[in-house]
Amino acid sequence: MKKRWPITILYRAFSSSTTSTTASFPLKHVKKSNFDSALSSLRHHVQAADFVAIDLEMTGITSAPWRDSFEFDRFDVRYLKVKDSAEKFAVIQFGVSPFRWDPLKQSFITHPHNFFIFQRQELPLDGAAYEFLCQTTSMDFLAKYQFDFNACIHEGVSYLSREQEDKALKHVNSTYEDESLDSWHSLKEIRDTHLFNIPDILFAERMKDRLSEWLGGLLRNRDGGSEVQPSFNDSKQQFETIFFKMRPAISLNGFTSHQLLLIQLVVRKHFKDLAYLRVSGENSCSQNVIVYIESESDKKMLMKEVKDEQKIDAEMSIKASIGFRHVIDLLSSEKKLIVGHNCFLDIAHIYSKFFGPLPLTAEEFISSVNKYFPHIIDTKILLNSNSILQQRMKKSSTSLSKAFSVLCPQIALGSKSTHLALQPSVKVEVEVDDIRSSNWNSGVKHEAGYDAFMTGCVFAQACSHLGIDFKQQSSSENLAHNEKLREHVNLLYLSWTNGEIINLSTGNRTSESLASNKRKNHYPKILFECIVIVWGFPSHLKAWDIRECISKVYGPTSVISVYHVDETAVFVQFSRAEMVSKFLDLKGSLDRNNDPISVLHPLAKLLEGGNTCAASYETYKEICSSTVSKVLFADQAKAVGIKWKTKLVESSDKTKEHESLRKVKAVNSDPSCGERTKNKNFDDHPCSFNGSRRTNTNLPIELLSEIFEELTDCENISHRAAVCMSFMASCHQNFLPSTFISSSISFLHCSHNHHQNLALSSNVQTHKHHQMFLPQLKESRCASTSYDGWLLTLPFDRKQNLYLSNPFARDRIKLGTAQALRVVTSISPLDPKCVVLDIHK
Amino acid sequence: MVPKFKPSPLRIRSFCTKTVQQNPHHWPIKQITKTNFNESLSEIKNHISSSDFIAVSLQNTGSFSSPWHRVSTFDTPETAYLKAKFAAERFQILQFAICPFKLQASKVIAYPYNFHLFPRDELKMGMPSYSFTCQTSYLTAMAKEGFDFNTCIYDGISYLSEAQESTVKVRMGNPMAVDHATKSSSSPALSVADTVFIERVRSRVKHWKNACTDSDIKTEAALVTSLRKIVLGGEQFGSRPSMTIDVCSERQVQLVLKMLEDFSDVLVPLIIPAKGGGTQAVRAVLTSSDEDKHLLKRELQTFEFEQNKRVRGFREVIDLISASQKPIVAHNSLNDFTFIHSKFLAPLPPNMNEFICSLRLAFPQVIDVNYLLKDIGPVKKMTNISATIAYLKNRFFAPIEMEIPNQANENEGKIHGHNVVKICQLFGKLCSILKITPDAIESSDDFLASAINRYANIFYSLPGSSQEPTNEEIRGWTNDKRKVSCEDVVFLWGFRERISAGILKNMLQGSHEVFAEAFNVRMVDRSCAIVVFGKPGLSNTFKNVMNSKEVSGPLREMVSDGLKAAGYETYQRVCSSGLWESALADALDKALASHNCLSEAAYETKQSEIYLSNELINLAEL
Repeated sequence: MKKRWPITILYRAFSSSTTSTTASFPLKHVKKSNFDSALSSLRHHVQAADFVAIDLEMTGITSAPWRDSFEFDRFDVRYLKVKDSAEKFAVIQFGVSPFRWDPLKQSFITHPHNFFIFQRQELPLDGAAYEFLCQTTSMDFLAKYQFDFNACIHEGVSYLSREQEDKALKHVNSTYEDESLDSWHSLKEIRDTHLFNIPDILFAERMKDRLSEWLGGLLRNRDGGSEVQPSFNDSKQQFETIFFKMRPAISLNGFTSHQLLLIQLVVRKHFKDLAYLRVSGENSCSQNVIVYIESESDKKMLMKEVKDEQKIDAEMSIKASIGFRHVIDLLSSEKKLIVGHNCFLDIAHIYSKFFGPLPLTAEEFISSVNKYFPHIIDTKILLNSNSILQQRMKKSSTSLSKAFSVLCPQIALGSKSTHLALQPSVKVEVEVDDIRSSNWNSGVKHEAGYDAFMTGCVFAQACSHLGIDFKQQSSSENLAHNEKLREHVNLLYLSWTNGEIINLSTGNRTSESLASNKRKNHYPKILFECIVIVWGFPSHLKAWDIRECISKVYGPTSVISVYHVDETAVFVQFSRAEMVSKFLDLKGSLDRNNDPISVLHPLAKLLEGGNTCAASYETYKEICSSTVSKVLFADQAKAVGIKWKTKLVESSDKTKEHESLRKVKAVNSDPSCGERTKNKNFDDHPCSFNGSRRTNTNLPIELLSEIFEELTDCENISHRAAVCMSFMASCHQNFLPSTFISSSISFLHCSHNHHQNLALSSNVQTHKHHQMFLPQLKESRCASTSYDGWLLTLPFDRKQNLYLSNPFARDRIKLGTAQALRVVTSISPLDPKCVVLDIHK
Repeated sequence: MVPKFKPSPLRIRSFCTKTVQQNPHHWPIKQITKTNFNESLSEIKNHISSSDFIAVSLQNTGSFSSPWHRVSTFDTPETAYLKAKFAAERFQILQFAICPFKLQASKVIAYPYNFHLFPRDELKMGMPSYSFTCQTSYLTAMAKEGFDFNTCIYDGISYLSEAQESTVKVRMGNPMAVDHATKSSSSPALSVADTVFIERVRSRVKHWKNACTDSDIKTEAALVTSLRKIVLGGEQFGSRPSMTIDVCSERQVQLVLKMLEDFSDVLVPLIIPAKGGGTQAVRAVLTSSDEDKHLLKRELQTFEFEQNKRVRGFREVIDLISASQKPIVAHNSLNDFTFIHSKFLAPLPPNMNEFICSLRLAFPQVIDVNYLLKDIGPVKKMTNISATIAYLKNRFFAPIEMEIPNQANENEGKIHGHNVVKICQLFGKLCSILKITPDAIESSDDFLASAINRYANIFYSLPGSSQEPTNEEIRGWTNDKRKVSCEDVVFLWGFRERISAGILKNMLQGSHEVFAEAFNVRMVDRSCAIVVFGKPGLSNTFKNVMNSKEVSGPLREMVSDGLKAAGYETYQRVCSSGLWESALADALDKALASHNCLSEAAYETKQSEIYLSNELINLAEL
């Protein structure tokens, strides 16, 4: 299987890896500590910007090798694959680079930001833990480019998606409003539990004494008594008198949770005018207090007060954990032109991380994206679809770093090479923390911030080549509405592999149409209804074997291509759509019947092992839509819960197919009567024939005999005999009665020359002939048998033994001294249960 | 068991923080990464072979994704295994600490090592793992401890499991020397075909050998030599001439090997594996003398050794531990050993029994300190080792002196892997409390063996639940000392969310007569509860009622609101068919749906019911 790099960012970087320098490119790194200040400055930059370039770094691209992008991906399947990737992997770095045209300086000013992001579970949300997948190759790749994982995990900015925020707010509302005061979780009532052991009882008594003492003191105090609280001194740390919501209270410190439980019990049981509360104090640690209350209504008031405060706190903490999403909200609300490079996956990531779960269909996704980001431009499409730019690119690769170095050499090389100034170039200046620089070392680090910067530069330069004059461009006008850009806005590569482009504003899909396209089309147009997916077949079968196997049944032109999804699964593309249902029907019936006839069927090779499954393209889509990701496709299908072996397709000619199938079986199960009417001599011919071959013209025997007369070469005869039934019958009648017999299963014909020990095998499907050296053929003739690949060797000397031999395995089985002309074996001769039938005159 | 001495709660705390927290930061635990791995290996090997026990402790990227995925008290060993398996297959080990140690009187002499691992695809074959899952909470917690992720990812040691190694070997197609096991299979009667085959090969080999050894060749022109080479099919193997003999079956391999024995004075046979498994060819290498032959064999061995080392990576250490056959001490053995099995041995088998069998081959004795703890008395379930040590310290007099003769760590970075030393310490304490005394270890190995055997290989005695019994519901369970048969357990779901077990119990109490008897309710997660019936048979009555039309009264009301019930076998099916939805209710619904559409499933249930009736879950152990 050919090696495919699944990672788009990967090849972007591989080409740029040659110039790795340590000199730093001015880039604003944003982490938890400086996020707030960076956000406010970024806000101004984005508001003033003409466009904003973005780039993302993820922990992986494909969750399993078969989830990679294939030519055989229909757009909906492609979307499912992108969806899977965006849902499973995490974004760990986000580059934002707002570009603004400075009319004074006649150049672009950009502020490249490099955000480290890492989603932490900051809110006590219920249920599933946050988790993400890491693809080991991607991690290793990031490590190669010195990605700072510590900065990301230790100090990355966390975030909440809009959906998570809504959920959290709803959760807060329901906990603080819906339920009655008593079942409120932080004041959870405890049932009367019996105190089991002496220590607990003693402790409870002590607490009771202390509390009543405190209460007594409090009441005396209020009644104008003096400050008497003598016995509390020893445990001042534990029982600290404070004021809680204008009420006297005790703050409990240094107790174990069990002790607190006992105290709570005591308060409930014995003190009507005390209330036990657990409130979240400062530093987010909870504080346990016992508050003095005047009456039941006072208690309610207190509870409400506490509750409201806690609700506000909870809402505040939710707001605080929005984090990096503020940046996305900013980009979305400003409706600026977003520029990315091959950014469909990036957009999907942004959607799933910061808005909500990805919709089930590509259509819904596109319309929602368009709502959030009305203008997106993909520089990769821009470069590929415009002929002026293609010329500029000199047909080089459109990977980001390549495009950057070709289009913006003066920037890439840090304005050092003056001789390149011949071509009109857009000037770009970088400003970080109010320090402007127009001269820098070409810091080609593989970082989101730098990639975003490169994307922006490529875009600016491309615009200038397209004839957009930034000097004329008024600052109020949105670049996205520019005439020259209009046809490129909102087009994204759904899949770079097969050049399918989707228009985000209309939802239309088009294939990349440019003739100048560098990509070669390896595959003819794919009709998905002609595709069957087969998996679980014996592991030694390769695409070619499978093609051969199926061609034996449906003819050499039936299969257009066989494509490996991974080592356990293939797509088989048939030439006609109805063959899909035919194939699945046939396979289904072979699965059911495990008789020797099915074993002899050409497809048996494919079905060996009994785990081979097949289904139409729709099933493939279904498997792709699962959230499970097993490494091997066959395991995935099992994990998805597919228990059948063949999924039939409803089709109109199904009944017809069944009929012909039965006919084939009739021939198979009783070969001697199969074609009796045609020729009597043929009766003893044991070879089985399969249905598809009978479609060849059956010429009248008289005519055939004429042809025979012209043929002198026995090889030729054997080839023709393999094509036509009546030809073969006639052949038997008239010529060479036993020098050759063609097995319809193996398509192996042997002619021989008893002096040379050579045999010739020919394959009518491929029209290839193979000569082979057969030591077994010494002093004997050769005939074939009914089982794949086995030859019958007939000795010239009749007293010698007959052998079944396998020219490939160099194996030989002695049959004795019979005078057989043909031999039928029930199954492979290697099987101990094999029954051999020999026929002689 | 009433403790003999109970100090004031405050004193316990301060006491334990002083003794346990202080020490660990001075424990010199050797940190091992890719850079110092090879040089440390021999030292580790020595320590392993001279130790009595080996403690292990893992730092993973996650454990359970949803509350119900955690192994809990209502799990049978089988479902517990399936849960552990699910975790082991998804998450990754980032740190693997081992500590070979000796017990001498009240002294533990320990040699702790902490290995940083990262599954790097060094051979570009998608191994050892294509991807792995991380839980943010785990990573954040590791970050808080000062874990250096850059070291881990840049410089972590990679590895391959045994199963992966053998596929890699096949795929790399490196020639293997013939060991006598493959050679000495009984030779069946030769058929004519065999004889022909052998003779043909023999003559080829003879010609080639003669041509090679023929001294006249040297006088020939270069062209003639190369022509001869082509005709004879000779190749070079290193500096020696060799010849490849193609074979079609394992039988032919045997035949060729047997035939080559006749030339064993100068020819060394090598087997070249085929890509899809099996043998592709046999290669005969010509050596000039007996001496040269031994030299070749040695060369092959070192080549294989070097390659294995490169391929195995960290598994070399696992192999060392396995080869030493020393008892292994772990804290949460089910969890740790499912990880170890899946990362370093082979993919996890589908059930617990196979797992234990397979594991026992590599590690004959695994001791879980949690199980030792159980013998001491009704110890509260503790997953925190430090807390357990503190607990023991307060109740028993068993001072253990830790001696770590490792040299001071040369690494500047933070020291990780304290847990493994704590496990040693805890084990030492437990041994002294349980009178598996170090003296006994020294005096008689048999005694030790029998004592250890009592505790070895019990993977599932205490489920790894660390929930503190603070909730009222769970307290109710703690008092319940009975073992409950799975048959008496019913899973309930479809009620409104955020209901408490108490409320649910109240609702159920009046709803049907089966709830007139004693029963217990406990929440599994927010979506699902389990009900345990005190009286056998009631669970079936209840399930039948739920499925019949006769359901009436308040229960009917609840069913109309969406309440559903299923027996324990449905839960087992959820685990065995891998329906790891985030809410148990969804998983149970799915299991029921797939169950209904499968006709053959009726048979399955019958079996599992039989199986179930013998199965007891221990609800008292919390």
